[in-house]
Amino acid sequence: MIIIIDNQEVQVSYGDTILDAAQRAKIHIPTLCHHQAFAGQGRCRLCLVEVTEQGRKRIVASCTYPITREITVCTSTPRIEKMRKNLVMFLYKQAPASKLLQSMYRDYECQDNSLPENAGEKCMLCNLCVLACEEMGSSAISLIMRGTEKKVATPYNEASLDCLGCGACAAICPTQAIELTERDGYRTIWNKEFKLVNCQNCGQPYATQEQLAYIESRGPDNEMLHCCLSCRQKMTAQKIKIFT
Amino acid sequence: MHKELIVQPEKCTGCRTCELICSFVHVQEFDPTRSRINVFNFEKVGFSVPIVCQQCSVAACMEVCPVGAISRSDITGALEVNHDKCLRCKMCTIACPFGATIYDPIKDIIAKCDLGKGDPMCVKLCPSGALTYQEPTQANVNKRKAYAAKFKAVYEEVG
Repeated sequence: MIIIIDNQEVQVSYGDTILDAAQRAKIHIPTLCHHQAFAGQGRCRLCLVEVTEQGRKRIVASCTYPITREITVCTSTPRIEKMRKNLVMFLYKQAPASKLLQSMYRDYECQDNSLPENAGEKCMLCNLCVLACEEMGSSAISLIMRGTEKKVATPYNEASLDCLGCGACAAICPTQAIELTERDGYRTIWNKEFKLVNCQNCGQPYATQEQLAYIESRGPDNEMLHCCLSCRQKMTAQKIKIFT
Repeated sequence: MHKELIVQPEKCTGCRTCELICSFVHVQEFDPTRSRINVFNFEKVGFSVPIVCQQCSVAACMEVCPVGAISRSDITGALEVNHDKCLRCKMCTIACPFGATIYDPIKDIIAKCDLGKGDPMCVKLCPSGALTYQEPTQANVNKRKAYAAKFKAVYEEVG
């Protein structure tokens, strides 16, 4: 099936989302809550596009709109730009401490207004961290509460038994809202303190016990699991030296 | 069969040209600390060995990846990371027994040998022929198998 995105013909298959098709054709659609590892969420709404179908126009979120027939898509019209500008303004009000949203607020030339701000907040509730944690098989965090109280947290804000301390949530966060600190052999994230495992060879801390257990349960046997990464390279080199 | 990157440490002079060109190709900088191939020099005995991803057939990095971001390329047979799909959980870096999968904090990506997308510059510039890129012959396969068996024996002793 062929659809038209911004006057360009794009080959798609039935059920693809507009965003997938556009990304494959290297047509840029702005997104905040989208990640290729997950299906579209339709949360941030920045990926709005105008779809013309049988002569009728409507605005849809491209990340969740499946293509089922031949359509014409426009990724940027004055109407869409105006909506995106408002969305960025609202997202900024939700997370004004985020550098990313601050720069978007400037780039979209949003007008200052008297709407209240969530002062000091960096999280825009895009839910990517929750999805990442779920994909890791932990689901240690989720969106809790409703309305203005809504936030990402572990159950009762307590240290979660399921958290691996892998930091995938912090790494995926587009606004760097999740704090992960590593000091003196301890890693702290989501109110949980992990004692890092020390390398058997050089004694440097390199991973959490939970991460090693995760790898043991999924990966093939690995005799080098209890050494840090640079020691593994070094020891492999030494073994080769002995044999050559 | 896909071509393989074959390392012959007995020919390696330890010049580290491969490290420089690898980092230049991948991060446009001559920075050996960000190279995907690492040379270890044992100066007292005059021996050097480059350590690089073995593109394992049963690959720990691929098996532990929660989202399947590491897959084998049809063209080169290399295990390649889809950076758009990767969550940066870094499990693959801990899972690799050779420490050959690394995290590049500057580019914020998982970096591993991709066989130069079928045209490895490290091989082209290796002055001593310690790195070669060729179709696996039966002789090579046998050599590697013997090598791997020896390795396994030693690791079992140590472990």
